[in-house]
Amino acid sequence: MKVDVQSLGTFNQLAHEGAQAATDAMAQMTGIDTHVNVTRITLMERAQLGEQLAGMSLVGIQFNFEGGLTGETVLVFEREKSAAIAEALLGEGASEEMAQSSIEEIGNIMMSGFIDGWAEFLETSIEHDPPTYVEGEGEAILPEPPTDTERNQVFVFRSEIQWDGEDVSFYIYMLPEYEPLTALMAEHSGASEDAIPVEKLAAFNEMTREGARQAAGNVEMMTGIETEAEISQISFAPIEDIPKQFSDEVYVGTVVEFVGAPSGFLLVLFDEQSAITVAEALMPVEMDSEELTDQHKAAIEELGNIMTSGFVDGWANVLQQSVEHTPPRVVHDMGRAVIDPLAAQLGQFQQHAFLIDSKMMTEELEFACEITALPNEQELREALEQLDLDRTTETQADVEDIFGA
Amino acid sequence: MKVYDGSSTGGEATETAERLKVGIAEYDVTADGAELSTSGLGSCVGVALHDTETGISGLVHVMLPVAEEMRDGKPAKFADTGVELLISEMEERGANIETTEAKIAGGSNMLDFSDSDKSIGDRNVEQVRKTLQSYDISVVAADTGGDYGRSLIFESTTGELVVKSANRETQRL
Repeated sequence: MKVDVQSLGTFNQLAHEGAQAATDAMAQMTGIDTHVNVTRITLMERAQLGEQLAGMSLVGIQFNFEGGLTGETVLVFEREKSAAIAEALLGEGASEEMAQSSIEEIGNIMMSGFIDGWAEFLETSIEHDPPTYVEGEGEAILPEPPTDTERNQVFVFRSEIQWDGEDVSFYIYMLPEYEPLTALMAEHSGASEDAIPVEKLAAFNEMTREGARQAAGNVEMMTGIETEAEISQISFAPIEDIPKQFSDEVYVGTVVEFVGAPSGFLLVLFDEQSAITVAEALMPVEMDSEELTDQHKAAIEELGNIMTSGFVDGWANVLQQSVEHTPPRVVHDMGRAVIDPLAAQLGQFQQHAFLIDSKMMTEELEFACEITALPNEQELREALEQLDLDRTTETQADVEDIFGA
Repeated sequence: MKVYDGSSTGGEATETAERLKVGIAEYDVTADGAELSTSGLGSCVGVALHDTETGISGLVHVMLPVAEEMRDGKPAKFADTGVELLISEMEERGANIETTEAKIAGGSNMLDFSDSDKSIGDRNVEQVRKTLQSYDISVVAADTGGDYGRSLIFESTTGELVVKSANRETQRL
């Protein structure tokens, strides 16, 4: 099964249309104005689904759909915001029971709009069950992804909808079954020379995970900080939506440009507290500083360099291509502003972008790190074309052999 | 069928909101004193227009200099078509460009890896100024360039543009 970049672009637009239809339905029925913040298609391991929701207490609605597409979808938002939503619908003093029914109502309105948006775009019919009310903590609220014994990665369509003027976000997750989705994608693909076999995208994702493990290993070797979870996913979105996937929070880290096949940018970013923690673990003397100093930044530069090398070497080995990178540039700025000029540089030549990201964290310390690659789209496609699937399956059997660890 | 053009979903209905967020490659216009904000400007440029007579104000967040180079039908993504679009939307809402002035911020040179003489940030700022000039709209204040990111809050009642950065003092233009 092949999907081409055009069909990924089409499906991204489709997901956006669905979310847009949801916001229109909402405005029409309730007078609540919302707008679609982010829409992206992601291929990720099923076990890692929903990490964006971690730590949130959520409520919402869920239902199955079938027809042109088959699968499950949910719309959720933070429980603490439900009062504001009930108030907007019912006025002040709504009981909890009434609040729940208003959540169901809103969910129903938005998700009917969402599914209708998809169906209209695909010129097909999609039936859905009546929605059911769901509540839960973090990613546990998401439905089980469709069972599939053949593969452990799933496509997920994610949209984030923002209520204008209020601090309320709605998260839509749509989990279509793999076969009908990829069949539909193949149907909607344009010029075939752009096509990427889906399996290669999945294999690439696994390689990235190995690259992240290598980088995590380097962190542990240098700092003694053992990272426990690595998340790796490949997303596809319009270039102008790429920076939106980063927050305004201040990050510290390194950025390099890598050249080879593919070329692009690689970022290693820590939140400020993690940067201080990890930098101090590298320093020979105790600092116990609460502020980020130049010494911290120098340590981050060194660490970023080593993590970058580990990551890029992992890619180069599997792709059997040389990938060189520039010396790291240290950044200390709003995450979104850091990615913005990089997206703009790619945006001169491409309308959509692949965003490959890995996260590592540890429970013991306050520590989180993100490695993000933003490759040139066409070059990534070419590299995937060259990718020998037999070789990537070796990564599972013998990581060290492939990555030369 | 609706066609997503990358611009704002705003319109009549959003007017009651007090604070409107403008994303990358989006714009919004207010005629009733809403606060317009946008965040994470690196090489992108925020263009804030304010009609001093009617108070009608608009903000666009552009990413790249010239639409012709890409032709992807998202006018608000580019400095030239983005500014044109914002002006025409404001005029449609009753603004007079003769009494409209501009404040711009962003266009940082941070993380520019390109080989060309001019960074994307510089080219964005240059194009924004050029397009505004073609409408005889003067840029009364600017905070552009440098090597750091910016976030903006545009207070449409006063026309004041607040520029925030991670490691610098907040500027009021």
